[in-house]
Amino acid sequence: MIQLKNLSKIFRTELIETHALRSIELQVNEGEFVALTGPSGSGKSTLLNVLGTLEHFDEGDYLLDGQSVKGLSDSALSKLRNEKIGFIFQGFNLIKDYSLQDNIELPLRYRGIAASERKRRAEQALELVGLAARRDYHPSQLSGGQQQRVAIARAIAGQPRILLADEPTGNLDSLMARQVMELLEKINQDGCTILMVTHDPDQARRAGRQVQIVDGQLSDAAMYDPLAVKRA
Amino acid sequence: MEQFLYYLKVSWVSIKRAPLPYALTIFILSLGLGVFFANATFYYQLNSDPLPHKSDKLFFPMTLMVPNECRDCQPPRVLSYTNVQKLSQTDIPSAKAGMYSADGYLRLDTKQAPTPVSIRITQPDFFKMFEVPLLHGSIWADDKARLELILSKPTAEKMFGRSDVVGEKILLDDRDFTVVAVLDDWQMLPRLYDANNGGQLSEADQVYMPLETGYDFNYMSNRQSHTYDYTDYRQLSTQGRTGALNQLQFWVQLDTEAQQQAYRQFMSNLVADEQKAGRHPSAPNNQLVPMRNIVSYFGGESADIKAFALVTLLFLGVCLFNASHLSLNRYISNQYEFSLRRALGASRGQLQQQMLADVLLMATFCCVCGLLIAWGGVTLLNFLWPANSLFGRWDLTLLLLLLVVTFTTSYLVTLYPSLRASFGGLNQQLKE
Repeated sequence: MIQLKNLSKIFRTELIETHALRSIELQVNEGEFVALTGPSGSGKSTLLNVLGTLEHFDEGDYLLDGQSVKGLSDSALSKLRNEKIGFIFQGFNLIKDYSLQDNIELPLRYRGIAASERKRRAEQALELVGLAARRDYHPSQLSGGQQQRVAIARAIAGQPRILLADEPTGNLDSLMARQVMELLEKINQDGCTILMVTHDPDQARRAGRQVQIVDGQLSDAAMYDPLAVKRA
Repeated sequence: MEQFLYYLKVSWVSIKRAPLPYALTIFILSLGLGVFFANATFYYQLNSDPLPHKSDKLFFPMTLMVPNECRDCQPPRVLSYTNVQKLSQTDIPSAKAGMYSADGYLRLDTKQAPTPVSIRITQPDFFKMFEVPLLHGSIWADDKARLELILSKPTAEKMFGRSDVVGEKILLDDRDFTVVAVLDDWQMLPRLYDANNGGQLSEADQVYMPLETGYDFNYMSNRQSHTYDYTDYRQLSTQGRTGALNQLQFWVQLDTEAQQQAYRQFMSNLVADEQKAGRHPSAPNNQLVPMRNIVSYFGGESADIKAFALVTLLFLGVCLFNASHLSLNRYISNQYEFSLRRALGASRGQLQQQMLADVLLMATFCCVCGLLIAWGGVTLLNFLWPANSLFGRWDLTLLLLLLVVTFTTSYLVTLYPSLRASFGGLNQQLKE
């Protein structure tokens, strides 16, 4: 489903070049739950952003469903993000002036989905994350864990095939973190491919496969092993 | 439509998030627009064409038929009675009318206090040429002198308390006249038929009298007149018709190019004949000025209005720049939300639609505030310069024009900031 071929990403300033990702080779199959781990600044979030087409890469190629994203126009990338990818950010990234319902409907609106269908999907997603009764609340009225669950609901409401989670439990206490992880596991069991950046070894172990990044490189070639994990 | 209503809602929420900077943006832009609108109102009215379908068919003929030798002279702005008669002696024009204006006093009987009025002393074709609407009665049948007046509707209502006063008697300078017609509401703006006298900014006349009657009763022009001899022209009925007193305006209607060519030829032939007869020694200088060019021909364009137009345009530019700067700050503070929407799948095109909703809201606010400020400005200018008050009015075309300007400026104010917010590294902006 996801294939990175010799992919590199360089951040350039006038004075220096920083190789954030170096010759990454990675394949992720449909339905996998992959944890991206590594020390701070190793490039795992950059990799996640490249996978989410939030950042461009400089060399190599990125194939999504067998199609290269290289050279796609801005509108094609927007469409791709909207239809295939769901995002869960560490800082939740909810719009505070909108109700939970409106926040969840946001990506669906840009896909041109009718109001009744949007409403149905948003309610379904809120039901899944256990916040159906609070659809008219605003994010500021919720705890951090609840906000992250809303962000997850927003990510899955569009029924994406890939969920990219950047330290989804980074701002949560252990109890809430566990709830979020359980939720992600449930979503993965329903067939959604998940790539999750995490610092937490316990959470990484709950993923089907761990990929470690150090200094912008996959630390072990053995990580590139699409057959290594066969989820039950 | 549902999506656009959503965009409007997003704009409204964004305004509520930081109302003060938004209000300041609206105020600055409205101030620029209001000042610009106030000036544009006068500029538009002063430069408008009151008879757009006809203004290239009505002409003001002038000839340099003067008794003295005059090198490089322009023909006089007003004509003598004799020269008007000569210029009228052809069937080429579809209509023709000599005229001038004078002052008089109107009353119903000698017991009543006289009311000062302006009189247009003219010929029947005047009403046809300038499409003067008639409410009651009929225009004089020919150019002959008669004791018959035509009144404007406000004058009829003022003197008689009603408009249908055809057949009523009235005293003009204590002479008995009969009212034969009443005009409907009419105010040609600008009053181009009087542009040679600089009277294009004036109100319509109140009383209309036959030209020959005006001469018979020695009505002198209250605008410009001049002569080339020492004759006492106060005896207009006798000396005025034969002497060199120039006080008449003359208009002809020439509907086709062929008519215009023929009339030019007619004027040339007339001047040549006059020269042969030894009646004027100067080189020929004939002018046939179309009504649409009459103000510029006589240099009647107001330099003050032009200069003020430039200043208000520059002021609008400054306001636009400042409003754009404030708008940029607002958009940059909302850049996170723009980026989030892009990350979640909004294309730049969809963000630009969002921007159009912003423009619509801003334009609506600016239109209301700008028009209020403009209304204040026009009222102030009318108070300071009452002579221009006729031109401080809005019509539908002008309002639509102002609406277009408002939308354009609102778009300009929003365009750059929204483009700035739509571009840039998504990841970086989401982290900020």
